[in-house]
Amino acid sequence: MIEIDGVSQVFQTSARQDHLALSNISLTIEDGAFVSILGPSGCGKSTLLYIVGGFVRPTAGVASMKGRAITGPGPDRGPVFQEFALFPWKSVLGNVMYGPRQQGIKRPDAEAQSRALIEMVGLKGFEDFYPKELSGGMKQRVALARTLAYHPEVLLMDEPFGALDAHTRTRLQNDLLNIWERDRKTVLFVTHSVEEAVFLSDKVVMMTRSPGRVREIIDIDLPRPRHRTELLLDPRYQKYIVEIERMFDDSGDDELR
Amino acid sequence: MLRRAAPLLVCLGLLVVWQLASLVLKSDSFPTALEAIRAIPVVLGDKDSLVNFAASLRRMAIGFAVGVAISIPLGLSMGRSRAVASLFNPLLMVIYPVPKAALMPIIMLWLGVGDISKTLVIFLGVSLPVIYHSFEGARAVEEKMLWSGAAMGLSSTQRLVRIVLPAALPEILTGCRTGLVLALITMITSEMIARQSGAGNILFNALDMGQYDTVFAMIIIVGAMGIVLDALFERLRARLVRWSEPQFDIPLSFS
Ligand SMILES: Nc1ncnc2c1ncn2[C@@H]1O[C@H](COP(=O)(O)OP(=O)(O)O)[C@@H](O)[C@H]1O
Ligand SMILES: [Mg+2]
Repeated sequence: MIEIDGVSQVFQTSARQDHLALSNISLTIEDGAFVSILGPSGCGKSTLLYIVGGFVRPTAGVASMKGRAITGPGPDRGPVFQEFALFPWKSVLGNVMYGPRQQGIKRPDAEAQSRALIEMVGLKGFEDFYPKELSGGMKQRVALARTLAYHPEVLLMDEPFGALDAHTRTRLQNDLLNIWERDRKTVLFVTHSVEEAVFLSDKVVMMTRSPGRVREIIDIDLPRPRHRTELLLDPRYQKYIVEIERMFDDSGDDELR
Repeated sequence: MLRRAAPLLVCLGLLVVWQLASLVLKSDSFPTALEAIRAIPVVLGDKDSLVNFAASLRRMAIGFAVGVAISIPLGLSMGRSRAVASLFNPLLMVIYPVPKAALMPIIMLWLGVGDISKTLVIFLGVSLPVIYHSFEGARAVEEKMLWSGAAMGLSSTQRLVRIVLPAALPEILTGCRTGLVLALITMITSEMIARQSGAGNILFNALDMGQYDTVFAMIIIVGAMGIVLDALFERLRARLVRWSEPQFDIPLSFS
């Protein structure tokens, strides 16, 4: 269980001014839940994710995991960034093997596991390719496999499909759900797409415009496994989307004051 | 085919121009290309001058190796740590614009005219471009890449060695390539100033004695050495950073 308790984040801008990015966020994420953080650009979604990852220390408040305050990054929380952040000097296999090797797993074992993961994310045959030789969608698959390879308990995904074309995006969403159904890791998923949030999540955390606060938490009560084509015809799915879309439109207008 | 032959054609063209110019000018201090080329085997066949070359190359190799071994970690640390950068930056700012050969008289005064002084000058010449490029390379490393490493459990030293170093390698090697050429330049200049041994010493002794064919032969030999060293290093570099090269097709043979 991840608990975010009264977290605020102030950044110093280059002009030496204080900028409040997150304001008093409190949130609980149950084990095994797929939770999306949804909000307009600049509302502090990434910052919140970085705080849970331990990459950024909050100015106020505490984030904790399993009752222990988060003080830095660790292999129990695996990030997948929008920018992929693959190691360009390593092949696909080398990237995926990096974490297991770091954890002291012997090369043959690490390699076997990594090959299986690469196959699972649909990149069989590309093991020896370098990141520069891959498309955006393929890079994000590698990034996901690289993170899954060291078995984090929690996946922290920051708009992982944001830079991809619509078709690739849909396919990766499906693949991510399939993988998630298999081992039910806790997922904290940042997105600015209402559809994506509803399609993937058990719970959607709607944030206000900057400075980010929690505006609403919506439980998505839709059956799993989910199939896009079935959901598109499902009135409950449509209702969630419309409801959240409306909220998004007037996102925090009265809360800006 | 034409691209590979191009450097050779350029050399040949220069030699032809030289030959014609020297025939026209007919000056004692300007031997023809053929005379200079004929002097090359004489120089290279002389045991004494081979000893001198070996001494030059040894100093250059040591100066370059030590320079690179110190400059890469220093540059990378400066690029990743504000504290380290502000510690060394003032020093480098002062050293950077000073021609290293101009320091030679002082260094000679303190350390004598032997190997140590000359190697030190080469070391200084190599260090600055390597530090600078390592610094820039380290600074440009994407933060998310380091975060990914941290999440896998890499300590900050491990991240410096296993993420910053390889990620900055293309930039570092660009610095090393400049450093290699500067090593050759400072090698010759140091031997011009401290005239005691080395290729630069042969060159200037020949000049003093009016042996102009030897002077020009030496210029050709040293020039060829530079070209060969640079070409070899470029091949090594291209091999090491194949993963980073954009599919970009104009090989620049100088930088
Ligand atoms: N390192 C930083 N320094 C200063 N301001 C920052 C920094 N990181 C983020 N911010 C600011 O904090 C706000 C939230 O950023 P971010 O978390 O990236 O938003 P989101 O991911 O929702 O688009 C933005 O206004 C951004 O400009
Ligand atoms: Mg963001």
